[in-house]
Amino acid sequence: MRVTSFSLTALILMFFVHTQPFIDMDAASISTNLTLPGASMALIDDGAWAVGLGVALFTIVTPLVLAGGLVYVCGPLMFGRAAPGAKFVTTWMSRSEPWNMIEVFLLGVLVSLLKLGHLAELHFGYGFWCFTALMFCMAAAVAAIDKRELWDRLEVAQQE
Amino acid sequence: MSVHFSEIKRGANQGLAACHTCEKVAPVKLEKCPRCGSHLHLRKTDSVTRTLALVAAAMLMYIPANILPIMGIRELGVLTESTIISGLIQFWKMGSYPIAIVIFTASILIPFLKIGALLWLCAAAKGIVPHSARVLGKVYWITELLGRWSMVDIFVVAILVTMVQLGNYMTVTPLPGALAFAGVVILTMFAAMSFDPKLLWDQLEREEAEKKAKTEKTLDSE
Repeated sequence: MRVTSFSLTALILMFFVHTQPFIDMDAASISTNLTLPGASMALIDDGAWAVGLGVALFTIVTPLVLAGGLVYVCGPLMFGRAAPGAKFVTTWMSRSEPWNMIEVFLLGVLVSLLKLGHLAELHFGYGFWCFTALMFCMAAAVAAIDKRELWDRLEVAQQE
Repeated sequence: MSVHFSEIKRGANQGLAACHTCEKVAPVKLEKCPRCGSHLHLRKTDSVTRTLALVAAAMLMYIPANILPIMGIRELGVLTESTIISGLIQFWKMGSYPIAIVIFTASILIPFLKIGALLWLCAAAKGIVPHSARVLGKVYWITELLGRWSMVDIFVVAILVTMVQLGNYMTVTPLPGALAFAGVVILTMFAAMSFDPKLLWDQLEREEAEKKAKTEKTLDSE
């Protein structure tokens, strides 16, 4: 199934997205960089812990649940098997779907670039390109799922 | 051949409901979906009341979200506080019109329209305002689709707070407006989820039934 390959790619990309910096900035001989976990951590450290947790939830936890869940459920289904707890995972996947805000975060990155462009020198890191690819993979994986077909297949697989 | 609306068979009249999670159609009497185990009901419970409560909370939050600053920029020791609207004006003055329009749409227009749309949907489901279910169905769909894009301003704050840590030269800190704004987005998303668009069709059916009864009455009196 296409879903599995896209979500597996998304999972692999996620590893790079979380470790590689998005953007490096040099200004006044100080250089800073942006990573996905870094953005939530900075908010938490600066006292806005509720907002920071929200950002972590929308950009890290939900994409992970979605991509991980899809691989876990759709992978075995390719061979006609249902993974243990597949129904539970699928239920939570459909609940978390509207909270996946990867593409919104990318728009946020672009807006911030325009804000910062005039005061510092910016370099795109590998993380940025991985993130763009991740966004397309997630969108492709989510678009490729037919929810009803997924549930039908799960039902059949579990009866066997 | 056209079939009158009231002649169409509906699952609700036969005691059947589609599961809200996996869409399996099953008898409501089972209470739990036989496939995924979610709670089974014909309509979402207290849909209109819950939606209205969440919308009211979002409207209250909308005020501090726009009045309170979302971030503070300390440049060479001078602190300037920036609200959503002042950030927008800054982009407009800089001449970045496309970005200004994107921010205006995501941060001001969408939350505002979303609150309005949800209120309208609730009123229509209760039969207070006349409606066309077809138009409102689209309104509901768009409301659900667009809501998440309002989060963009919060992400911008997060990114700026992370990157602009240049010691004495310039630092950015998050301020309470960001929390209020995130609250508005999350509350309206929950409000959209708790609204049951099927209520619109129920109301349409009630109105059709009333109309039918009325025409039959006038026919009888003739």
